[in-house]
Amino acid sequence: MKDFYANLSLNKKLGLFAFVLGFLALFAGSPYHGSEATVNAKELALIVEKEVDHVSVQTLADWIIQGKSDFRLIDLRNEKDFAEYHVPSAENVPLSGLDQSNLQHNEKIILYSDGGIHSAQAWMLLAAKGFKGVYILRGGLEEWKDQILFPHIPENLTPAQVVEFAKTKEVSKFFGGAPQSGGTTDAATPKLAMPKLEAPAGAQSKAAPTKKKKEGC
Amino acid sequence: MMAPFFKYGLFGDDVSLVVAFITGIGFGFFLERGGFNSAKKLAAQFYFTDLTVFKVMFTAIITAMVGLYYLSVIGFLDLSLVYLTPTFLLPQVVGGLLLGFGFVIGGYCPGTSCVAVSTGRIDAMVYLGGTMFGILVFGEVFPLVSNFYVSTPMGQITLPQITGLPYGLLVFLVVLMALGGFVGAEWVERKMASKKAGAAL
Repeated sequence: MKDFYANLSLNKKLGLFAFVLGFLALFAGSPYHGSEATVNAKELALIVEKEVDHVSVQTLADWIIQGKSDFRLIDLRNEKDFAEYHVPSAENVPLSGLDQSNLQHNEKIILYSDGGIHSAQAWMLLAAKGFKGVYILRGGLEEWKDQILFPHIPENLTPAQVVEFAKTKEVSKFFGGAPQSGGTTDAATPKLAMPKLEAPAGAQSKAAPTKKKKEGC
Repeated sequence: MMAPFFKYGLFGDDVSLVVAFITGIGFGFFLERGGFNSAKKLAAQFYFTDLTVFKVMFTAIITAMVGLYYLSVIGFLDLSLVYLTPTFLLPQVVGGLLLGFGFVIGGYCPGTSCVAVSTGRIDAMVYLGGTMFGILVFGEVFPLVSNFYVSTPMGQITLPQITGLPYGLLVFLVVLMALGGFVGAEWVERKMASKKAGAAL
């Protein structure tokens, strides 16, 4: 037996090694560790504390404008609200449907709801299920409206601020919003009409369920 | 510590680029050592006189497969977090054929052409220029083909999912397939070599 092994060429030894490993795989079972949820409380607490699980509305707006498609944007509100308005490229997965959704562990997922609470709860559910790349849109749709669609642009700007707000205006227009000038933040302002869904010029306005990811080779 | 390190937040986007650079250099180095910087050697694949490409690629596949499988089984790697390129059947078949044509005509695939450029081969520089031009053309005509590009989507699928067979059994079957392939490849090489020798007489 020993002689037999010693007489083999390196290639044959490696082949034999591969065969043995392959054969043992028959009995080693599945590499996926079931679907039971385990939570590493300390790790989760750290993530929450450091807020590494947040994406700001400005960052998200930039990504959409740049046409990035390496993430899935999930709208957690109900279908009716979703149909009325949603952030371009978002997919609707109501909180109750999170269990049956086709979200993959290896995807980058950004959650948003009206405020931040539902997203946070959904984030926790997904984290418990072993998802790693889940992020919350900071401030949710409320902040999206305040900062992106209808940003308030104060009067009497310094030249540096003018440049800064020029970008804000452009972003707002891109998403079909309307920048608000002046300090009139009072309730007297008429209700702002939400932009029509096909508003963003050039960007993907419909949520394509089969977006290609720019990852891999 | 669990892998994949990037998904577990061990390092961020910036460091991931450094890691990608190091991995890429390593990949290129071993391609070069395998003799893949020579268009003649690569093209010989398609004339069945030198099946090194087939053997190296299949070796890489089963090494990675067996490695990933056992690392997951012992709990070092979370396989569900590993990114899989989604399958778009028809466009990928067409794309594969297109790449194959380019491979036979130019003697390189994209990765090996970069390796050959770095070793100073002029034909590879022309090839790489062609690749860049092709990317440009594709980018320009993309709106026309974008519907086809995302057609027949099948998602991130794996052999165990399609066949319904246990994961371990498929690992074994693929290893058997590879070993059979190696034996077959060497047989074909010997056959072609003796035919060549016969023709030379």
